[in-house]
Amino acid sequence: MTRRGQIGLGAFVLFVLLVIVWRTQSTDVAAIVSTGLFVGAFQYATPLTFGALGGLYSERSGVVNIGLEGMMLMGCFWGVVVSQETGSWELGVLGAMAAGGFLGLVHAVLSIHLRANQVISGTAVNILGLGITSYGTNAIFGSEGSGDVPRIPSVLHFLEKVPLIGDVIGGLNLMIYVALALVAVSWWFLFRTVWGLRLRAVGEHPRAADTVGLPVFGIRYAAVILSGVLAGMGGAYLAFGLGSQFSENMTAGRGFIALAALIFGKWKPWGLLAAALLFGFSQALGDALQTILHVNAFLVFTLPYIFTLVALVGVIGRSRGPAAAGIPYARQ
Amino acid sequence: MAEDPSSASGAASSGAALALELRGITKRFGTFTANDAIDLDLREGEVHALLGENGAGKSTLMNVLYGLYKPDEGEIFVRGQRAAITSSADAIHLGIGMVHQHFMLIPVMTVVENIVLGAEPQHLGQLDLDTARERVRELSASYGLAVQPDAVIEEIGVGQQQRVEILKALYRHARILILDEPTAVLTPQEVDELFAVLRTLVAGGTSIILITHKLHEVLDVADRISVLRRGKKVATIDREGASERSLAELMVGREVLLDVARSTAHPGETVLSVQDLWVRDDRGLDAVRGLSMDVRAGEIVGIAGVDGNGQSELIQALAGMRVPHGGHVELNGVDVTRANPRESSDAGVGHIPEDRQRHGLVLDFSIAENTALHDYDRPPMSRVYWLDRDAMVARAADWIQLYDVRGGGPPTPARALSGGNQQKVVLAREIQSNPRLLIAAQPTRGLDVGAIEYVHRRLVEQRDAGCAVLLVSFELDEVMDLADRILVMFGGQIALERASGSTDERELGVAMTGGKVPA
Amino acid sequence: MIRRILRSPSLGEFGLSLLTVFLALIVGGLAMAFTGANPLGVYKDLVVGAGFDWPFHLIPGNPLGVNALLAENNLVATLVLFTPLVLTGFAVAFAFRCGLFNIGGTGQFWVGSVCALVVAQHVGGPGGMVLATIAAGIGGAIWAGIAGGLKAYRGAHEVITTIMLNWIAIYTTQYLFAVAGPLTDNSVGNGVSKNILESAQYPGIWGVVQKIHIGIFLALACAVVYYVILNRTTLGYEVRAVGFNPEAARYGGISVKRSIVAAMAICGAFAGLAGAVQVLGVNYAIPASDVPVIDIGFTGIAVALLGRNTAVGVVLAALLFAALQSGGTQLSGSFNPELASGVSNIIQGTIILLVGGELVVRWLVGRAKHERVVPDVNPNAPPPQLPPQAGATPL
Repeated sequence: MTRRGQIGLGAFVLFVLLVIVWRTQSTDVAAIVSTGLFVGAFQYATPLTFGALGGLYSERSGVVNIGLEGMMLMGCFWGVVVSQETGSWELGVLGAMAAGGFLGLVHAVLSIHLRANQVISGTAVNILGLGITSYGTNAIFGSEGSGDVPRIPSVLHFLEKVPLIGDVIGGLNLMIYVALALVAVSWWFLFRTVWGLRLRAVGEHPRAADTVGLPVFGIRYAAVILSGVLAGMGGAYLAFGLGSQFSENMTAGRGFIALAALIFGKWKPWGLLAAALLFGFSQALGDALQTILHVNAFLVFTLPYIFTLVALVGVIGRSRGPAAAGIPYARQ
Repeated sequence: MAEDPSSASGAASSGAALALELRGITKRFGTFTANDAIDLDLREGEVHALLGENGAGKSTLMNVLYGLYKPDEGEIFVRGQRAAITSSADAIHLGIGMVHQHFMLIPVMTVVENIVLGAEPQHLGQLDLDTARERVRELSASYGLAVQPDAVIEEIGVGQQQRVEILKALYRHARILILDEPTAVLTPQEVDELFAVLRTLVAGGTSIILITHKLHEVLDVADRISVLRRGKKVATIDREGASERSLAELMVGREVLLDVARSTAHPGETVLSVQDLWVRDDRGLDAVRGLSMDVRAGEIVGIAGVDGNGQSELIQALAGMRVPHGGHVELNGVDVTRANPRESSDAGVGHIPEDRQRHGLVLDFSIAENTALHDYDRPPMSRVYWLDRDAMVARAADWIQLYDVRGGGPPTPARALSGGNQQKVVLAREIQSNPRLLIAAQPTRGLDVGAIEYVHRRLVEQRDAGCAVLLVSFELDEVMDLADRILVMFGGQIALERASGSTDERELGVAMTGGKVPA
Repeated sequence: MIRRILRSPSLGEFGLSLLTVFLALIVGGLAMAFTGANPLGVYKDLVVGAGFDWPFHLIPGNPLGVNALLAENNLVATLVLFTPLVLTGFAVAFAFRCGLFNIGGTGQFWVGSVCALVVAQHVGGPGGMVLATIAAGIGGAIWAGIAGGLKAYRGAHEVITTIMLNWIAIYTTQYLFAVAGPLTDNSVGNGVSKNILESAQYPGIWGVVQKIHIGIFLALACAVVYYVILNRTTLGYEVRAVGFNPEAARYGGISVKRSIVAAMAICGAFAGLAGAVQVLGVNYAIPASDVPVIDIGFTGIAVALLGRNTAVGVVLAALLFAALQSGGTQLSGSFNPELASGVSNIIQGTIILLVGGELVVRWLVGRAKHERVVPDVNPNAPPPQLPPQAGATPL
């Protein structure tokens, strides 16, 4: 780990210890704040984690995915619609995955088949996502909004019994646990399995992969569509796991923060999780500042974006993404 | 147009089995025919050289064979059976393996990972690297191809990288091996090692196609030679009876002078003086280590050496692209050690970069705009931030005529020109600025014989006009042909200095690999 | 002769853009039909709503029965929308010509607006107007310059940094002018800034209910400036070289880092001017409620792409998009105006898709020999100073 990483980790550990000490002194405010910060970090991080995981697969296969924002937004909207229409949050999540996957397919066709500029394709996907969901929300819900929607439940309440950290790790929303599990699975997949190796090869040197007979286009298509599906899941959680309804443009740049988390995490699963937690923490910190110190809400909203900028400034230029990312692959 | 003297007699009379047969292969790119009804056959256990100059169609033909291109016409027969090869996977399946000129290796992955990619030993989806390592060790031992299994590709040398490429093919049980310009990056000694490996492979039953444009290598190792010229096959001949001259004539279609006629040099005062130069590469390691050399006006100094010994970093330092951290560079007595590219070219350094498309030209700019790259911001090309386009176009038109640039006029984008013509634009720009020192790095890379002759002529012309010329080339022949003084660069230092004519390839080759040569 | 015209690049590009618009309108029409509206009727209403029928009332006898007054109002409204849009279009187009992607138009717009507002609240008369306009340009330039600097010196991709800067600017502006905000006019209840001095307002030149103001001349002047900078100045030479091939540009002695920052700053200046135009010519204040709603930066992207990054093209494309938007607000009850903005987004997105995907080109021409509208960039690549790996160049 780099020196910078060590310092960061050390600071974080110190912070955790301080909080634990503070809490065991047990005033209610301390408990609430610290729990709120941790739980909030996980809650706010989860859409980012899903988004960043999606970006991970896509970029590791060599396709830059700027369109995570639009894919997430589609997940938000269509997840809410399906959940409301069917009364089942499970189907809602599936609907969100399908919607995100659809935009993923659009991006895939443009970037892989038509070899369009991937940044433009991603931007188009974002604008389309915004347009479709804005149009849809007015057409379907009118001006009153979506109303009550079956929400993704929280689970693992038994963990709340665990001393000291029970109210942090227990009873969290299902999707938070799913996200953590997916991070672990992704690490195993990318670095321990055959297809993970192949995916990475395609992202580093697609021509070399082609010459050993790997299906470059097929792998990229799968990766990009998967990225849409994952982003959609993040959107589902955002809209009716964390939140309870859809509002226009509710992702508010989270897709881009997810991308920054991916870069900050150096395109590695555990790294992006740490980065997502950091950005989620910044939003939770904003909540705390707002409620306890009465800082203006709007100023507080800028915190995650400032955090992201600072993170990017410190990291980029020193890290290298998959070598072939962003460059369309052409067979003759 | 030469006929095919042996194809009728050869196969039938020798009775040898055919590992591979290509019949009537035609491949077009738009209106350009890269391969025109080519017939080729490969006997079991032979080394068959495919000879031709740049652009003759050799690589295209092999890419068709390997499934990377689809032929427009023609058929392929592998061991007598008709084969449909639509992808590399098909070719691999048929036992065809290819060692590419630009290695198809993934820089950030290890040797083992690169070798087994696509045919990985696995256990329930999980990668089994231990088994992979074992197999690699076995193969490596049986063919004498030494590699370090867990080394990362971008950290090992070119010779080892090539061995990895070959192992890739052997791991997949290749019986037909295609090698595309394998000796381009090797020292003479490494070439010998490679040919020894090839002979081992052939003894074991592998059949080999060797693509090359190096005549003496062909005569060293090939059993039969097929010559391609402008997309057509002009001859297939046995090695017996072939000579460098006869091969060269087949390649080019006319009598070829293999040596550039050159008068003796009359060097004048020292133009470039490099003293104890230290330059770091991208990874922070020293690539140039305390190097000292001079170039005088009116002479061509050639730096020979294998790629990766600091030549690129040296040139970048001289051209102002990289700042040395030790030592001095003086041009006509003026210290230019820390000059940036603009200052360097203002001081009188002309630079023909080794990668003309990446460094020498802005391909999407017009010819006119490209010619102004060094002086666009001063009169007569501009005045106080305002560009004078007419002046730019007029000067470009002049230079296009002087340098016989074909393929367009001043407004034509550089992208539309052929490699040779692009290089002429670069030459024009650098030479017309009347440099005191002209640095030419790989100036003939990727050019056909006509363009090569042109570039060589111009360099000699400049020398005769009193310019100091520094030539850096990985092609030993080019250096020996052109240079008045030859320096061999190894490990960031000058390992040997000789006047041309007083040394030979063997001696230079030894120095190129770091061996000791009596002074 | 005809063939020469057809082969002339600009005409071909124009035709491609026309075809792109046509296809996008079809997609938009499908979206409308999907919800039961009649696309053709809606599009006709859009044309009228944009005021494009106004010239026809000049035909003697007014055969088309154009309501001249209504048309005039509509046309003015369109032009008012057009003015800032063409400027944000240039903000994006200039970036593209330099190999950069400026999605930060919205943030730069707001920074410019705030700068113009503050100056114009205190300095009046023509001097105030000019000063406020310049302040807006500088503000926008600085805001975009941050992203440019981060890219040049830290390698941070400008897509992410400009989006982050967007949201920071949006929320900060809201903070400033929301109810009980530091710069809010507290005598009015609903979160708006104090007005600028009346003498600093851009004079109107045409129109009754609403006037089109002199800002439109500024916008058109910027079109000339755009063209001149890119094609006739040494700076334009440098930024274009860097955009096409940063390594060759370096070899030519051009400072890549400075060019990137300069290019972004110029883009920001254009977008900042758009903000000035809105404040000084239309609203004379900044209502906090406007902030989350205006996505002019994104529309600027579609404008730049459709206009193929040329001066004339951007002007025409901005006119089209302004018409779409302004016409949308005039639709009669049969089609919900909120849906109209969604349709407009869908059309925009489709245009970007088609142009960026070079779909139309490939479909027509088979093999794209066109200069790409946007150069390929690898956002994860290290900053351009590093020379390439040996052996990595493809065949």
